[in-house]
Amino acid sequence: MADESGSPFEPKIVAFCCNWCTYAGADLAGGMRLKYEPNFVTVRVMCSARVSPHFIIRAFQEGADGVFIGGCHIGDCHYVKGNYITAKRVAIMKRLLEFLGIPKERLHLVWIAASEGDKYAREVDAFTEKVRAMGPSPLKQVRFWKDATVSKKIYKSEAAAETPAGA
Amino acid sequence: MQELKDEVKKLLEQGSIAGFLGMIATTSGVVPHLFVADKADEIEKLTTGDVRYSLVQILRWIAVRHPDDKFGIMCRACDERAMTEMFRNSQLSMDKVVMLGIPCTDELRIACECEEPTPKSLLFGQSTAKKWDKADVERIDAMETEERLDWWTEQLGKCIKCYGCRNSCPMCFCRVCTLNDDPLVKRGEIPSEFPSFHLTRAFHMAGRCVDCGLCEEACPMDIPIRTIYRKVRLVVGELTNFWTGESKGKSPLAELGDGTFPIQ
Ligand code: SF4
Ligand code: SF4
Ligand code: FES
Repeated sequence: MADESGSPFEPKIVAFCCNWCTYAGADLAGGMRLKYEPNFVTVRVMCSARVSPHFIIRAFQEGADGVFIGGCHIGDCHYVKGNYITAKRVAIMKRLLEFLGIPKERLHLVWIAASEGDKYAREVDAFTEKVRAMGPSPLKQVRFWKDATVSKKIYKSEAAAETPAGA
Repeated sequence: MQELKDEVKKLLEQGSIAGFLGMIATTSGVVPHLFVADKADEIEKLTTGDVRYSLVQILRWIAVRHPDDKFGIMCRACDERAMTEMFRNSQLSMDKVVMLGIPCTDELRIACECEEPTPKSLLFGQSTAKKWDKADVERIDAMETEERLDWWTEQLGKCIKCYGCRNSCPMCFCRVCTLNDDPLVKRGEIPSEFPSFHLTRAFHMAGRCVDCGLCEEACPMDIPIRTIYRKVRLVVGELTNFWTGESKGKSPLAELGDGTFPIQ
């Protein structure tokens, strides 16, 4: 997959990692000198439950190709039950995204403990690869005609015609 | 119809309710109205009409100002479902409300694609069920993902951000609305951001939307927004077996639960 300028597509992924487990896991992965994909833009949150649905929506709106949420394993949440609600939220959000035409696979939730540095590295690689294969977020193609009463999506070809190659 | 008028008259005379929220026929149309004992003659003009309003919201505003009084309210089946959710979400208290159920006319029922037009508190007459067949949701479910995006872009791109869908909704009772929160959903620009505006509202309707259809009725751009909310209601129902307006107990989204809900 390549963009208009011909360079291979590199996904931009927004990752929300809970401070106590997944973020610590990421730290450990770094400490272990594990090699993993550099596509994550990580946002540290105190708990996976801090990731309000709006964060997910906003990330996609701003052009994220994927959104990753990492939390503690069930039973390990440092706020006891925060991640219980995360699981429900993500399940609902995935279905709504899919209904509006945004593949649900672009949203990914996983539990990673502070001791699981290797799991963190594997998850980052796997998700990055998945999103890379899916290509850029389809929302990037959505443009609305400013003055028209009926808007439409610009297809890749039209978007390419609009922006000179390499721009 | 006379049954309703008699009942309202009786309740007001007895003083068991401070007012009855229904609709009144005026020269300029049928509008919501609070009937009170002092003006008992107005009750003659009480009507079940062929229009719908978010009476539940109006009752909530009244109840906020008169928290100690008990009120009656005219309920279609959709109003009744909304009331159930109002009680569940502590927006109204059950012992301060008397619901008087009314049937809907055939025209209305068909126009509303009502799932269950008979209120449990039905006072007179009858509504024959005209079940909603899920066709609108299924049609979109059956599309390819990309096709769905096209369809919704075209539909939601028509949005002029009048906020009618929110303002007419009986279940929108938050004091501060996310749709007005600039960092989350951009204000002052049309068309509305896709998907932020509608997806935000849709998510907020999880465990709340009672499928009354007032939003779509209010939309000046004829956007089939009810379909999104119906999908939300189905999603929550399928995932947690919680059906707004029907299920008993707390909403699973208002409770943390036992942690057995799997990642999916
Ligand atoms: S159908 Fe529309 S107006 Fe009615 S409860 Fe659902 S979102 Fe609100
Ligand atoms: S009622 Fe229709 S046009 Fe108005 S904000 Fe809602 S979707 Fe947009
Ligand atoms: S603290 Fe990690 S999920 Fe709650």
